[in-house]
Amino acid sequence: MTDPLALDPVLSPAERSSPGAPARRHDEAYEAWFARFEAHVMNGGKVEAVDAMPDEYRTAVLRFVEMHANSELMGVLPEREWLMRAPTLRRKLALTAKVQDEVGHAQLLYRIAEDLGKPREAMFDDLLAGKTKFHNVFHYPTVGWADVGMIAWLVDAAAIVAQQALRDSSYAPYARTMRKICWEESVHIMHGRDVVVTMVTGTPAQRAAIQDALDRWWGPLMQMHGPRSPREKDMDLRWRIKAKTSEELRQEFLTIYVPRIRELGLLIPDPELRHDEAADEWRYTEPDWNELRTVVTNHGPMSEARLEFRRQAREATAWVRDTILGVPAAA
Amino acid sequence: MTASRTPAAPPILGLDGLLLTMADDEFVIGFSDSEWTGIAPLLEEDVAMSSLSQDELGHATALYGLLAELTGTDADAIAYDREPAEYRHARLLDHGRGDWAMTIARRYLYETADATRLEALADGTWAPLAELVGKLQREERYHAMHIGSWFERLAGAVGEPRDRLLDALATLGPDAGTVFTPLSDEPALIEAGVLARPMAELEHEWRTRTTAMFARFDLSNLPPTRDPERGRTDHGADFAWLHGEFTKVRRGDPGATW
Amino acid sequence: MSDGAARSDPALEAWEVFRQEKEGDPMRHGGSVMAPDAELAIHYAREMYGRRQESVRLWVVRRADILDLEDPDLLQPPLDRSFKKPGGYVMRDKLAAAREAAGQAKPKARAK
Repeated sequence: MTDPLALDPVLSPAERSSPGAPARRHDEAYEAWFARFEAHVMNGGKVEAVDAMPDEYRTAVLRFVEMHANSELMGVLPEREWLMRAPTLRRKLALTAKVQDEVGHAQLLYRIAEDLGKPREAMFDDLLAGKTKFHNVFHYPTVGWADVGMIAWLVDAAAIVAQQALRDSSYAPYARTMRKICWEESVHIMHGRDVVVTMVTGTPAQRAAIQDALDRWWGPLMQMHGPRSPREKDMDLRWRIKAKTSEELRQEFLTIYVPRIRELGLLIPDPELRHDEAADEWRYTEPDWNELRTVVTNHGPMSEARLEFRRQAREATAWVRDTILGVPAAA
Repeated sequence: MTASRTPAAPPILGLDGLLLTMADDEFVIGFSDSEWTGIAPLLEEDVAMSSLSQDELGHATALYGLLAELTGTDADAIAYDREPAEYRHARLLDHGRGDWAMTIARRYLYETADATRLEALADGTWAPLAELVGKLQREERYHAMHIGSWFERLAGAVGEPRDRLLDALATLGPDAGTVFTPLSDEPALIEAGVLARPMAELEHEWRTRTTAMFARFDLSNLPPTRDPERGRTDHGADFAWLHGEFTKVRRGDPGATW
Repeated sequence: MSDGAARSDPALEAWEVFRQEKEGDPMRHGGSVMAPDAELAIHYAREMYGRRQESVRLWVVRRADILDLEDPDLLQPPLDRSFKKPGGYVMRDKLAAAREAAGQAKPKARAK
């Protein structure tokens, strides 16, 4: 749900998401149909997988959903490491269920993209070749159990703010899936917050670990929704594929979660962060957009290691797909 | 998680040992197979394998819970705070998850053995365990269906899938029967009506069933168990590694609440 | 369950999943799973739409077996069909005239 288009301002042309369908010259009948289609979605009309839709719209939805799917899949890896190390039976069960949900969300989202015409294997090929992207937060290392709590709480929270805004997407299969995902995600945030609150009220080492985790994750969190971009040029907004801008999502995240972070006695590592009452807006240190660019182009601290891990895991199970499962090879 | 009632019957000799073996079995296989999360052959299968692992961990939690009540301790302490040599899971489960065929083979051998064990415990005289066993059997039906399906698919295939299964069975074969390692105080458990038949007899039943299944797919019979007396005590390097992983966070801050 | 023919040449395809949330509810479309055959399709449907005990029943159908009708000429034909719907029977004025002619007041609404 970070809109891949939202990253474009910080990327060079070569680094940006592949362009949509090339502009074609169309006849009047097509232009009229396109205008009717636009009017339909701009007025809240819905589009189903089997409906006729302009290539531009289909491509836009596919790109959006594909990055979301990639992120759920890659998002499994930071937490998977700590699955093995969960310190109690209950935490182990909760974390296993959470990570399972993420895999489930990947399934739901890749299915939507598949029904738009791109086979799963082709999407995996592109992800592993670095042609498509996944969210910045999943390119960073997790150094301890405190990170597990922090990710489950704040990273999931930032994600859910975006996901809630997608529940009324013009692309109906995506909207329906987002409702299911939001319902499932609410439990994850509670689990994360529970881990954080437990540690914050625990030993000095646990408190310190939580503060340290916040110090490290705050930057990526602030970058997660992407840089500000002008509303008027945002086609994903225009066609109601999404409903809110990057900045709106970031503001919403801050409004809900800054008080919840501060009430635990944690220090947010941004001395400029404050709520401007007059403008009813949060002010903050400008996020490091260079860092975002470096990371989402797969030069983050864990980008290559995690992609390589995936490549090897995929290769190790190829024989199962080729035989028992009858997965068609990507074209 | 744990039952809130206290056991009605006085402690039965051997009960804690039985519970520990069952709980450790479920804990180790649940932990080990949860490694497939995120990397299973198909996304849908990933979710399925994760459910199976969670079920096993849930079963382990319930079993450790019963044991904790009996011994006046804490389920997490039993699960986590022992040295590798003190774990009493079957040596079959010391093997790493390996490739998909190894995982299916190990699961198949374990699930069928566990089903036989549960049958002999289902009508036991100690109600808390008998009740729990009833619930486990209902949950295990799905395991049998899903794992059985995969086992048959691999065994019935030609070429690589079947070859990998054969390799896995050859590796696991000598340890397959370790689920039935005789328990200490087994006669007392039988006398008390907790366990219906000796482990040796259960193993025989299980081998008869698996032989019939293997014959359908032209698989060679499982060999006798290697070192049967030490079927639950000699845990090797793979388990030592797993133990290091799952105790890492707890050892990092002993006494902390998580 | 053995299905030798399907197993010897498996092909992953989409299966639609319908679910019933609680007894008495209609079956509603939940989504789809990819599977090589009916057996795994059912297992995967259970995982994606039932692992949280959120469904009491599931229907699993090969997408290829579903017949889709969305032809507007059949489903939304143009001529007036209001005689088939409650909205086609507006009697307010006629009732008022009948009550007036009979010297009757409008009956009070029944207590619920």
